[in-house]
Amino acid sequence: MKKRLNTRTAWYRLDLSAIVYPTLQRRNFSSVYRISAVLKETVEADLLQRAVDMTLPRFPAFKVMMRKGVFWRYLEPNDRPGPFVEPDIVNPCMPMSFQGSSRYLIRIYYYQNRISLEVFHSLSDGSGALYLLRTMTAVYLRLKGYKVPVGQGVLDLYEEPDEEELEDAYIRYASSRVRPPRSKEKTYRIRGTREPFYTLNIITGILPVQQVLSVSKQFQVSVTEYLNAVLLYALLKKQEEDHVFRELPVSIAMPVNLRRFFPSKTLRNFITMVYPSIDPRMGSYTFEEILLQVHHYMRYYINSKFLNADITTNAAVTRHPLIRIVPLFFKDFVVRQFYKRVQDKHSSAGLTNLGVVETPEEMRPHIERFDVLMGQPFSARTNCAVISYGDYLSISFASSIVEADVERLFFRKLVQDGIHVKIESNRNTEAE
Amino acid sequence: MSYCVNCGVELHKTCSVCPLCNTKVYNPGQPVDKKSPTPFPERRGYTAPARRTDVMLLISIVLAVTAGVCGLLNLFIFQGTHWSLYVIGGCILVWVFCLPIFIHRMNSCLSIALDGAGIVLYFGMIAWLHPGRGWYLSLAFPLTVLATGLILLPAVYVKRFHASILSCSALILGEIAVFTSAVEIFIDLFRQTAPSITWSAIVLTCCIVIDAALITIIRRTRLREEVRRRMHI
Repeated sequence: MKKRLNTRTAWYRLDLSAIVYPTLQRRNFSSVYRISAVLKETVEADLLQRAVDMTLPRFPAFKVMMRKGVFWRYLEPNDRPGPFVEPDIVNPCMPMSFQGSSRYLIRIYYYQNRISLEVFHSLSDGSGALYLLRTMTAVYLRLKGYKVPVGQGVLDLYEEPDEEELEDAYIRYASSRVRPPRSKEKTYRIRGTREPFYTLNIITGILPVQQVLSVSKQFQVSVTEYLNAVLLYALLKKQEEDHVFRELPVSIAMPVNLRRFFPSKTLRNFITMVYPSIDPRMGSYTFEEILLQVHHYMRYYINSKFLNADITTNAAVTRHPLIRIVPLFFKDFVVRQFYKRVQDKHSSAGLTNLGVVETPEEMRPHIERFDVLMGQPFSARTNCAVISYGDYLSISFASSIVEADVERLFFRKLVQDGIHVKIESNRNTEAE
Repeated sequence: MSYCVNCGVELHKTCSVCPLCNTKVYNPGQPVDKKSPTPFPERRGYTAPARRTDVMLLISIVLAVTAGVCGLLNLFIFQGTHWSLYVIGGCILVWVFCLPIFIHRMNSCLSIALDGAGIVLYFGMIAWLHPGRGWYLSLAFPLTVLATGLILLPAVYVKRFHASILSCSALILGEIAVFTSAVEIFIDLFRQTAPSITWSAIVLTCCIVIDAALITIIRRTRLREEVRRRMHI
């Protein structure tokens, strides 16, 4: 029998991943990402607002606000009015204040055919947020008069939220008896001109899924492995073009959805990072060699045993009695410094693949594609996010630097491999 | 549909240049569509300022009650000295220091000036209670005013001129040299000896050497770019 939630007295601990994001919060940075559904007709704002109001009570994990305790932060149910849908902006994923916007940590935008959901990463990962967006879109389509059933990512609004949807699944599965050491090697950092505050450059490439699949098949790798290899290739080329004084390894931070390995219905964060990398100091790599390296790395590291060991390392930190009694402000200081000086330097770029989005068949005629945006990078670099739906695979780069060298090298490589790429961007590229 | 001649990617019909390589789109068969909506809107979003009234109220009440209670205790129970003035002055000083927390986007120069004025007044109050040998007018007052001015200068410089890290470092080093020398001179004046520079000369020399190097780097474009590349600044 499902346990019912008492939303009045409930409060939630931040999960293992979620603890880090608020400590990185600055006036000009928040860990916010965006998922969008591009419909086939123009979005009506009032209907969308009704859909949001109807959907959100079903998702208590998103109807929360961030609170500060003495030792840790926590989430508390938020009954304030909102969140309210807004016309979209040119600079998505802008910083999210914990006090502003009635303290909601999600934002919903609409523009032409697009519904966009922005989420503060402490609430949920991309897979969890995708449930909210799909359910919200389904409710919107129902309000438009279409019949959309429950299932395949669309949750039943009349069903009580399951307690498992709010669980910290890391704690349930962190059971490894060893904690492998982590690489502390510095990696190549993209050099570029930092954009002013409130600017996020987006370049979205829309690709036919079948072409990407057939190219990946030719190379005998998965789509994620292929795209990872292309991004590593672009970063290596960029490092070459930079004529750096000392070459460094090129590495990608890639979140892995742990639900694939550890069954959980959680809508909160349940990801861990892997770092496929190439070290050009060992010699110059051809694209095929990069592909082989990525392929073997993924097969070796992405399995339940290695991932379990990784999340156990994280869990051990929060369980440590000494760490637990240290006041929050001190934890914030140490974590921020560690992230800034060590963690952030472990990767040259980020890449996330949300995979193939499933929806009920009845929704397919009304949705063109889904887009995902990894959000503002912590340091001056570019982040890449991939999602596919129907016939389209969407690759979005979010960058806080002026130069688009990595994006250019990445998409040119795809074109060279015979994939048709359509580009959309918010860059201010008015011809003189 | 138009394609970028350099990158080979298809471009959105509203694109007048390729977002990847900035190559201008020239397609006589299909000119750039300037009427259709662009893939992204033009409206820029801004974060709403955080409401800080609760924190402001809490800190103000705690400080006011502390000052008030200590004042009353001094008036009616522990009447020996004017000890409560230290606490009341301290509370006012802490409140002035907290102003940037209370007021969203408070002018940083104004905040520094108010902090400096608060410290000068607090020292003034202590000097009124303990006149000593004129330490306030010959030492505390000039050094506090000078320190405030020297902190204000880089704040104005960064705000007005979008200064680089290198030029800021040069300015701050120069200020350290000035302040150290001033401390020694004012101490000499307080001790009623002839003003001279002895120990501060070591600091002064170090600062001048580093400043000379920094100014040379700033003035030489190639050197400046090299340092920026190496230091990631």
